[in-house]
Amino acid sequence: MEELIEQLKQQIIEALNFEDMTPADIDANAPLFGEGLGLDSIDALELIMLLDREYGIKLADPKSGKEVFRSVRSMAEYIQKNRTK
Amino acid sequence: MRITHEIEITPTAVILDGQTLTQTETGEKMLIELYRQYANDYPKFFKLDTLSRLGFIAAELLLKAEGATRFVPTEDRAVILANRSASIKNDTDYLETISEGNYYPSPALFVYTLPNIVTGEIAIRNKYLAETAFYVLDKPEQLTPIIETTLNAEHSELNSAIVGWCECNNANSFYAKLQIIWKN
Repeated sequence: MEELIEQLKQQIIEALNFEDMTPADIDANAPLFGEGLGLDSIDALELIMLLDREYGIKLADPKSGKEVFRSVRSMAEYIQKNRTK
Repeated sequence: MRITHEIEITPTAVILDGQTLTQTETGEKMLIELYRQYANDYPKFFKLDTLSRLGFIAAELLLKAEGATRFVPTEDRAVILANRSASIKNDTDYLETISEGNYYPSPALFVYTLPNIVTGEIAIRNKYLAETAFYVLDKPEQLTPIIETTLNAEHSELNSAIVGWCECNNANSFYAKLQIIWKN
């Protein structure tokens, strides 16, 4: 799980153009939206595409997004359970 | 009309009011270097496409040269830019994300598939509430009558505008020539 979290942090940095950030700067348990990383709605769409592109996960239920994208750790847990690649 | 400040940016040179600014980087990396040197307080910069980064940095340097109070809502300054190729660099980048066999459309690229994002970004940053417009033209001189008409429109509250040519073909091929221009 910790390895997946580190990989995911790096993928988020690249997908969202956090040019000044390293994986160490991201708290795996901090909120992704609002406080924490302060992501916006376009970033949310990028994260949905990241799940599809990198892990073969298509988020069919928009309501599930709120829980999946709570933090990097919750994303990693969801990926571990649902990945197809 | 009166031009008070002017900047030219190419991938290898930055000339502000006739003075060359020394940079160590070139191309898009130079735009990031300029941002870190002269702004560095607008994290959204890193989400912008190259055209928007180019226009944003050019406007930042012009406004620093002007030295007036900034970030106060104002309705007397317009932002009027133009180029020939619209958002071609970003359009090409987006196209790659929807190519056959690799269909993962990027929302972050899609939002920049319009060139007028750059004028809006400058206006948002500086709290300009008046006209913003981006024209796709053959030649820079075609913009002059548009600027004159906009600034001198009847009932207009405009006194000045950030105007100019802002073109980006790719990360290493771009050109901006922006000015602050006053009605009187």
